[in-house]
Amino acid sequence: QRPILPAHSKNHKLSKTVTTMASLLSATSAVHSRNGQSCLPIHSSEGQATIPVRFDGTNLSISTNPTANIIDGSSIDHGITKAPYERSFSPYEFNGGTTLAISGPDYAVVAADTRLSSGYEILSRNVSKLHPLTERCVLGSAGCKTDVDQLRSVLDIKMKVYQHNHRKPMATPSVAQMLGNTLYMKRFFPYYSFNVLAGIDSEGKGAVYSYDAIGSFERTPFSASGSGQSFLIPLMDNVISHKNRLDEQRDLPVEEVVEIVKDAFLTAGERDIYTGDAVEIKIITKEGIRTEMFNLKAD
Amino acid sequence: QNPKVDSTTSSIEHNAGSNSNKHYRTTRFVSTITDLLFILLLIMSLSLQSGGTSSRALPNPTSSTLSAPAQATTRPITTGTSVLGVKYNGGVMLAADTLCSYGSLAKYKNARRLLPVNSRTLVGASGEYSDLQSISDLLRRNALEDRCTADSLYEEETQSEECAKEVWSYLRAVMYNRRNKMNPLWNDVVVAGFKQNADGTTSDEPFLGVVDKIGTAYEDDILATGFGGYIALPLLREKYSANMEEGEARAL
Repeated sequence: QRPILPAHSKNHKLSKTVTTMASLLSATSAVHSRNGQSCLPIHSSEGQATIPVRFDGTNLSISTNPTANIIDGSSIDHGITKAPYERSFSPYEFNGGTTLAISGPDYAVVAADTRLSSGYEILSRNVSKLHPLTERCVLGSAGCKTDVDQLRSVLDIKMKVYQHNHRKPMATPSVAQMLGNTLYMKRFFPYYSFNVLAGIDSEGKGAVYSYDAIGSFERTPFSASGSGQSFLIPLMDNVISHKNRLDEQRDLPVEEVVEIVKDAFLTAGERDIYTGDAVEIKIITKEGIRTEMFNLKAD
Repeated sequence: QNPKVDSTTSSIEHNAGSNSNKHYRTTRFVSTITDLLFILLLIMSLSLQSGGTSSRALPNPTSSTLSAPAQATTRPITTGTSVLGVKYNGGVMLAADTLCSYGSLAKYKNARRLLPVNSRTLVGASGEYSDLQSISDLLRRNALEDRCTADSLYEEETQSEECAKEVWSYLRAVMYNRRNKMNPLWNDVVVAGFKQNADGTTSDEPFLGVVDKIGTAYEDDILATGFGGYIALPLLREKYSANMEEGEARAL
């Protein structure tokens, strides 16, 4: 029996040089302690958004050199003014963006901005961060676009295999579990992708799942990820979860939720430099997926 | 052109020959599953995509070719600067200067950084010039293999050739693979050309996409790589309109 190898395991076999988390943790610059335990930043809101990684031929480790973070040539010094330093290549890059997903009694709304950035440069104003996986399920991802694209390809292939084996499309809770597993399989060289999964579950109710970069996930009433999540989550706490409010909570119809989403992105776009240009909103109901575009400021 | 074609075909033959030698040796080893993996590893370590040693360098490789490459790219040495791309009515245009710098030395003043891959795709790259040459060799080798393995050697060229979008997708996979091995091809590559219709014929729709050294791939109507992006993109974004004439696009 030939095992079905996931696409990335060949890389693991080939690069025997990728060391375990222990050696990654041993470098201190990108590590911060939490309750006395050192840990890597795996959430986009923690510390440096870009993880500088150093590869010396056999070991992969966090770069401890504080001056060698920028690898795009803009800080070429040639050892003239500063002491000579070693520049390292980082396989990760933060391409910005924000995603938001909200679930309702019979719908789910997921939205993401369409800006792709790199450092202070806007690479494109028209790149989608939402990816429909089935007719009832959409994946929104922010983070490093190349890892996000690879993750999507891997998921699409797995879903096709599922469809062929089971003769039906995958249900949303199953997709959620599979995405969590897929992310964890790359636990020691993660997909730098911060996902939200939104869809309709098998009972017809809206479902939203939030993830971190290594696959821990949870079903939540709403979820936001990416550079603007700190602006969106507190707003959603108040408006969707009705926290710290004295008026009576009522069920929100889908049209009102879409208006809330648009307002939320206007808020995030105002203060977050990586969020802007346009918002792509997908509304998922048992009838299918409907898409809307909404323009934001281009600054 | 002929000497170039001969050298590429002879290198393909050489690769195929040494592949079969290794295959014969390794089939004696352990279990079938590990076998298949080893064979895959060996074959992959020969190609550009894997960033491993070339079989041309080691005619009788020992088992040490299975281990990681001794050196990985840490910085670009001979570099080209930005490439600009613009779509216009009925086509797509790439622009790049002909300077390749060696740090702060202007070393090669007439280097070509825009290279055709097949009759419907053009590739241009900024960053390390030698990696661009590798990429160009790889893509041209693929194009040649497409032509040789097509249904007929004499058919309409464009039927069997990869269209620009396919070249772009393929290149993205190559760059991602190299970055996973922490040994990137240090380039931002712009791919320009046409898409193809369902039946394989070249469509009228122009294609313009970019792949960077870690595999970030996107397409757009106007593109710029490198430092020139900071200067050119705001101007292009302001003045660009869809379906400009070629002269207008050139002036822009």
